[in-house]
Amino acid sequence: MNKRSWAEPFKIKMVEHLRMTTPEEREAAIREAGYNTFLLRSRDVYIDLLTDSGTNAMSDRQWAGMMLGDEAYAGSENFYHLEDAVHKYYGYKHLIPTHQGRGAEHILSRLCIKPGDFVPGNMYFTTTKAHQELVGGQFVDVICDEAHDSQSEAPFKGNIDLGKLARLVDEHGPSKIAYLCVGATVNMAGGQPVSLANMRDVSTLCRSRGVKVFLDATRAVENCYFIKQREPGCADRTLTDILKELCSYSDGCTMSGKKDCLVNIGGFLAVNDDDLADAARNMVVLYEGLHTYGGLAGRDLEAMAIGIEESVSWDHMHARIGQVQYLGELLRKADVPIVQPIGGHGIFLDAARFLPNISREQFPAQALAAALYVDSGVRGMERGAVSAGRDKKTGQSIYPKLELVRLTLPRRVYTQAHMDVTAESVLSLLEQRDKIVGLRFTYEPKHLRFFQARFEPVTGERVLIN
Amino acid sequence: MKTIIEPFRIKSVEPIRMTTPGQREEVLREAGFNLFLISAENVLIDLLTDSGTGAMSAEQWAGIMRGDESYAGASSFYRFQDRIQELTGFRHVLPTHQGRASERILFELVGGPDKVVPNNTHFDTTRANVEHSGAKAVDLSIPEVRDPKNRHPFKGNMDVAALERLIREVGRERIPVVMVTVTNNSGGGQPVSMENLRAVRAVCDKHKLPLFLDACRFAENAYLIKRREPGMANRSVREIVHEMFALADGATISAKKDGLVNIGGLLLLRDEQLFQQACNLLILTEGFITYGGLAGRDLEAMAQGFEEVVHEDYLAYRIRSVEYLGEKLLAAGIPIVEPPGGHAIYIDAGAMCPHIPREQFPGQALVCGLYRVGGIRAVEIGSVMFGATASPPLELVRLAMPRRVYTQSHIDYVIEAAAELAAKKKELRGLKFTHEPPVLRHFTARFEEI
Repeated sequence: MNKRSWAEPFKIKMVEHLRMTTPEEREAAIREAGYNTFLLRSRDVYIDLLTDSGTNAMSDRQWAGMMLGDEAYAGSENFYHLEDAVHKYYGYKHLIPTHQGRGAEHILSRLCIKPGDFVPGNMYFTTTKAHQELVGGQFVDVICDEAHDSQSEAPFKGNIDLGKLARLVDEHGPSKIAYLCVGATVNMAGGQPVSLANMRDVSTLCRSRGVKVFLDATRAVENCYFIKQREPGCADRTLTDILKELCSYSDGCTMSGKKDCLVNIGGFLAVNDDDLADAARNMVVLYEGLHTYGGLAGRDLEAMAIGIEESVSWDHMHARIGQVQYLGELLRKADVPIVQPIGGHGIFLDAARFLPNISREQFPAQALAAALYVDSGVRGMERGAVSAGRDKKTGQSIYPKLELVRLTLPRRVYTQAHMDVTAESVLSLLEQRDKIVGLRFTYEPKHLRFFQARFEPVTGERVLIN
Repeated sequence: MKTIIEPFRIKSVEPIRMTTPGQREEVLREAGFNLFLISAENVLIDLLTDSGTGAMSAEQWAGIMRGDESYAGASSFYRFQDRIQELTGFRHVLPTHQGRASERILFELVGGPDKVVPNNTHFDTTRANVEHSGAKAVDLSIPEVRDPKNRHPFKGNMDVAALERLIREVGRERIPVVMVTVTNNSGGGQPVSMENLRAVRAVCDKHKLPLFLDACRFAENAYLIKRREPGMANRSVREIVHEMFALADGATISAKKDGLVNIGGLLLLRDEQLFQQACNLLILTEGFITYGGLAGRDLEAMAQGFEEVVHEDYLAYRIRSVEYLGEKLLAAGIPIVEPPGGHAIYIDAGAMCPHIPREQFPGQALVCGLYRVGGIRAVEIGSVMFGATASPPLELVRLAMPRRVYTQSHIDYVIEAAAELAAKKKELRGLKFTHEPPVLRHFTARFEEI
């Protein structure tokens, strides 16, 4: 059969120069950054796969929208455009814009979680969990077991385990459950999707017990792509249609527009309940901005409204996830241990299997991310023990089953050649894996330690011996 | 020179839509007589706020195109940081999505039940953030503020003796910071003198209290110091700005004013430990320390804006435009807070409409009148804005001037509309709440006419 490659459904209109660096420069840069890729300066980075959040290239239509920003403090036209887009594609009744996703999480957590409440979800996410804990809630993981197995090929590894959820509700009673938070896709599991059938069952269960369901809709359109590709009966449906149904099983969503919505800044909280919307509007004024701008410039609301419309296009999503799969296939064919199946927004290297000689206490994923930067200037992100932090009660480091390095692909930014360079660097590291050295903390922040932590190699002066 | 000369020409325009009195009447009713709830396309001249409504320069737009959107370590952040360090002398510079986020982080760290925060006059979001933390917000403005006709050159000053008394009464350990707002927005956009800042600093030193600036309009304040304070005429605005910040231990800034941008804020700190704590909170609620919840391009626009705002020809134009509006309103017999402040003219609605009692919100009635007559959007700064928690000294209506947006013709139109309204002010009617939200009620409240 003739192979038909995907191609980008756009051409390039504006470019941003990259700076090449020498191995010596990179060695010095990573040392100065305390072997934490978060602390590298972007000018020292060649291919930046740290995150897909806010790093997207906007379209010329979005840039045109930026010029149409109505910067009136109240009642900006752009707000109404965004409201229309959210109604049309996500279907929720009330829209409250926020400066970014964590602004929406902050408000939802403050409004819905009481001290001592449980907040079940399909695997933790760093900032989400921190917000839940800040107001006295406790996160409980109710994701299916397959999610924790990097080699399981299950098509919907983001699914909620209904048994775990039901047991939690039965044990504590619905009044102690603040709400169920469903991430679609599930970032920490490797960008794995949730199925429509699972959402439907979850919704039935929660509605019968009086538990509210909120979607973390950050990458919900990517999730819908997988539903269309993998779920029986969905192949002929449009992404728009699937997205509407997915959202209909929840009572609202938090959104970081910096992912699916193709913008550099922006987010929102959307809810169906009138009273909750009122309370959220009162609170958004305090933390974010008046409820018709939510701490964003008018132009950013406009860019997000246009971005939402572009995000549900099949051609866009096919190329987006096609690129992720292209990189994943290059690595998989060369037997690089990665999380399978390949997810929606990045490739997750299984660092524990990549570096079996480095013990978990020496943070193999952190070391691998640092070594990758030294080798080629590619910046990835640790998603393992450093990100998981310490147990609130025991004070001990948590070692999650998955010890990963995330190579996240910004949308519409890098070309196939950039992917080839990235794959070549990973392969070369696999060959010289015994030259990678484990790390230990020299500075460990109390909260969300992965952002600002500093490390040093456990022996010698280098993370990658050459 | 009397004529206002803008030190720029126009590069991009935004059409405004004319409306009929009938259309405006309908819009006003639909919005529950709250102009915050009117959609901007129904406003002819928008003087609701000078916050985030400024026109950026070509250089700022170039910065917008150059924004580095990397999540961590973006080069735009370092350009921004260098610029702010150079301008203010502060080493620790945190970007936030806007000013109220800086205030929230500060007061989550230093506020709390039992604490008392003195300020010359708290602005609405500042007060809300102080009170939200459980602390008490105390205003210590000088008595001259209560007389709108008093032309004291620095009506924004803090009452230093009152500050001493407060410290004695409540004890220094209950006061986490002393805060001074420059310029003093709620007090009429009035400047604070350098002499007063130094005196407050001396009190803080004596009692070992940190001094923080709410420095949204630091450049306008510095320019008014240069113009009005003895011995300051020959110093550059840049030098004055530097000294103002040098007197403080920290500052919250909404860059949407003197940063000349549409979005953005800053938190400036000297204390290393407080800075580390602020970083942790920033990451949790705003964004990583090198972007603070802003796009990289917004950091670029701020870096350039904070450079342009201390240009003295810009400030001369800015302050003169506001003065011009004030002079003409006074000439038309409309009582305003004198002397005109830096960013806005404040009409004394209580004096203008003695037939409307304070409980019926004369300021709000005047705001509705201005919209009816000319499609002009102003904002009440009186019992609606502050009445839930405090008793404001005056019922004011603020005509805030967006920076570099409106021409002299627009201002003349506003003057004519205000004069027309003044001629029939007896027809203005008071208002009462039909919906009253628990926090910051003025943003989303609804009213009906009595």
